[in-house]
Amino acid sequence: MDDVLDEVVSSEDLEKFEKVFHEQLHQGNVTHKAQFEYAWCLVRSKYATDIRKGILLLKELFNSHAEGKRDYLFYLAIGNARIKEYNKALHYIKRFLEIEPTNQQVLALERQINKRMETEGLVGMAVAGGAVLALGGLVGLGIALASRK
Amino acid sequence: MSSGPYNYSYIFKYIIIGDMGVGKSCLLHQFTEKKFMADCPHTIGVEFGTRIIEVAGQKIKLQIWDTAGQERFRAVTRSYYRGAAGALMVYDITRRSTYNHLSSWLTDTRNLTNPSTVIFLIGNKSDLDGQRDVTYEEAKQFADENGLMFVEASAKTGQNVEEAFLETAKKIYQSIQDGRLDLNAAESGVQHKPASTGRPLAAPPAKNDNCAC
Repeated sequence: MDDVLDEVVSSEDLEKFEKVFHEQLHQGNVTHKAQFEYAWCLVRSKYATDIRKGILLLKELFNSHAEGKRDYLFYLAIGNARIKEYNKALHYIKRFLEIEPTNQQVLALERQINKRMETEGLVGMAVAGGAVLALGGLVGLGIALASRK
Repeated sequence: MSSGPYNYSYIFKYIIIGDMGVGKSCLLHQFTEKKFMADCPHTIGVEFGTRIIEVAGQKIKLQIWDTAGQERFRAVTRSYYRGAAGALMVYDITRRSTYNHLSSWLTDTRNLTNPSTVIFLIGNKSDLDGQRDVTYEEAKQFADENGLMFVEASAKTGQNVEEAFLETAKKIYQSIQDGRLDLNAAESGVQHKPASTGRPLAAPPAKNDNCAC
């Protein structure tokens, strides 16, 4: 557990807030509070399908409840980062920083996302680098074989 | 990280709680960055910080969860209390209402943590003595009656900030030594990281204590 992106919600919590949300949904009157609490748990789930569901609920809140916009943007960034949709996550961070450019909590999240992109990007480059080496080896072999003739 | 050598022997989980605007995030920032955050907007949900400290020659990593004080986050932030080894409960010495709410914060803490959780009361903004609304004596009495540790501190000047975090860790470490805190309990808030083989006995090279790694 090194940063907020590693944190995973407990199944009891997820179930607890899911229950409240579904009860309200059943009665046809979902409060912003219940939807946000459930979405906040979903984006911290270990399952990508839960996270995607949380993102949908947050988007819905973002479009319908102006008062909580900064909270929704923040957790939209977290949810997207957790399913490795880094560019989307950074897009939400950018929108947040347009309103509060010096928010340390959001700047810290941005650094964590950039760090992850860098680490995972380097892994990708290493694979690509390996392929280049292998290709070089084949070309070298071809030249060696050709020159034998 | 699941394996490999650790540069610390224990992890202690802390939470920081209290009304909004009392300076919880500023205390965390002062402790982890040794800087005062002048422009401190309301925290969204929870914030997380780490720092490695030393108690009785043991390196301890503090994992600190700073909770938002706003009411709308309260239901979910309550789940962060579970398994906290230390709870820093903060009020603002210049706003009496934040002090009056302490008993409700304390009830939550007692209900949601372990009997061994160390609760430390912090009266923040001690630099604003001219605007004081709660006397030191009154808060000290409240702390004594409830068995809490207590200091007045200033996230702005840094006064007593280190002390609050470190004294909490010392008390937790003492509980481990006395056997009052069971390391095997699932929610003790303490993880022991056995030293890797071949741990150097010589003094380790100077490390950046603020490294969030």
